[in-house]
Amino acid sequence: MNARGATTDVLLGIVPIALLLGLWQAISWFGYAPPSLLPPPGAVFLRLAQQLLSSGFQQEIVATLFRLFSGFLIAVILGVGIGLAAAVNPAVDAVVRPLVRVLAPLPKVALYPALLLLLGFGHESKITLVAADALFPILLATYYGASTVEQKLIWSAMAAGTPRGQILFKVVLPASVPSILIGCRIGLVISCIVVFLAEMITSTDGLGHLLVMAARTFQAVDMFVPLITISLLGLILNGLLQAVRSYLLRGFPEV
Amino acid sequence: MMSVRALLSRSAPLLACLGLLGIWQVGSLILDTDSFPTATDAIRAIPSILGDKESLINILASLRRMAVGFSLAVMVSIPLGLMMGRSRGVASFFNPLLMIIYPVPKAALMPIIMLWLGVGDVAKTLVIFLGVSLPVIYHSFEGAKAVEEKMLWSGAAMGLSAARRMIRIVLPAALPEILTGCRTGLVLALITMVTSEMIARQSGAGNILFNALDMGQYDTVYAMIIIIGAMGIGLDAGFERMRRRLVRWSEPRFDLPLSFS
Repeated sequence: MNARGATTDVLLGIVPIALLLGLWQAISWFGYAPPSLLPPPGAVFLRLAQQLLSSGFQQEIVATLFRLFSGFLIAVILGVGIGLAAAVNPAVDAVVRPLVRVLAPLPKVALYPALLLLLGFGHESKITLVAADALFPILLATYYGASTVEQKLIWSAMAAGTPRGQILFKVVLPASVPSILIGCRIGLVISCIVVFLAEMITSTDGLGHLLVMAARTFQAVDMFVPLITISLLGLILNGLLQAVRSYLLRGFPEV
Repeated sequence: MMSVRALLSRSAPLLACLGLLGIWQVGSLILDTDSFPTATDAIRAIPSILGDKESLINILASLRRMAVGFSLAVMVSIPLGLMMGRSRGVASFFNPLLMIIYPVPKAALMPIIMLWLGVGDVAKTLVIFLGVSLPVIYHSFEGAKAVEEKMLWSGAAMGLSAARRMIRIVLPAALPEILTGCRTGLVLALITMVTSEMIARQSGAGNILFNALDMGQYDTVYAMIIIIGAMGIGLDAGFERMRRRLVRWSEPRFDLPLSFS
């Protein structure tokens, strides 16, 4: 029964995607849109396959991924560190809370020109932007997770003789892992999006740069390819994080 | 008479702003380069931007597009999210599609959409619409899913039709969650607006920012950053006040914005 329900769900979910692809194909088939505006899906996916095999395109992917991961890693380290510190220490909390309230809703992309002026047009400015954007979801999720750790867990650990200094790493941190991972998931997708946008705004390499170059020469097919690539990367990374999550949380009661 | 403590916690965000400006001031005095003017210089450049008629019109036009895109997105996304939350069929119909759309950088669609719809308001508003929709749908979905089944049964037993149950029971019960989504959406609307204007380079606040950068008017660059940042902080704070008033009955577990999905 349950398996059959799940199959129906999957089938239902394929319908709108298939419909969209069909519509796309139909529009270009019946000539409603010239291929220069909307290339047929077949042409786009063929080009995607070609590009994925070409070494030039792979280098662009590597450039993008390098910025993405550097920014994301900085965001994870800072976010988890600051979030934990703020959750367990009232003095840190008093400073971090108002800062987060002010900085979290600030559109970080507006800082990009300042980052360009201060850090130059290379990797640094883009990595900083990615880190700044991915930081807050991770920080907030860590803070939330660590400040809602059940007090009983801490008491039991203390009763079992855990020294005070180790409670943070032996109880609070592991107990907030589910929440931290949710934050990381949001932060990772944001990193994907932001690195691409930063490369579109100004860059000399990377996937975003490819899209801008294609747009300047009105190559519609080449505009779709980097966009699909970054979305696929987002999906793949999301899936990988999901795998890490189910590995890390294998002992947890319900997730 | 407010206690010192309450006063301090109320003015904490303001103090944080002042502190950040202070750090900026000290930092730029230490670095002492042309490309990093002091905070006071940047603040002094704000009146000349807001006083200039053309840039003021540009900024207001940006805000208008943002408001239109946001309102349209909310009007479409809340009913869709609520229906997804209450019907398994609708949820499994839309979920995979939304999952695929989720990691697509919405502002990056700007060049393609501009190719189709031209450089006018429609293209820019559409991009903002796309950027706002997903978090609002997601939070409405989660909110509607969590509505207690018993309340719906009571409603049905008292003769409420399905549509009225949706409006009278599901919508209010999911409201706190919906408003969380709208809060995220509002910030995202601003981000999408600025980003798409930076990419399209046609008009608007994002364009002023980059034009000033190209022309080396660094005071203007930083003044625009302050203006856009203040918009984000102001919109978020304003929305949070409204949200608190609307859902005063629900326990505010956490007053920091939790989701930026």
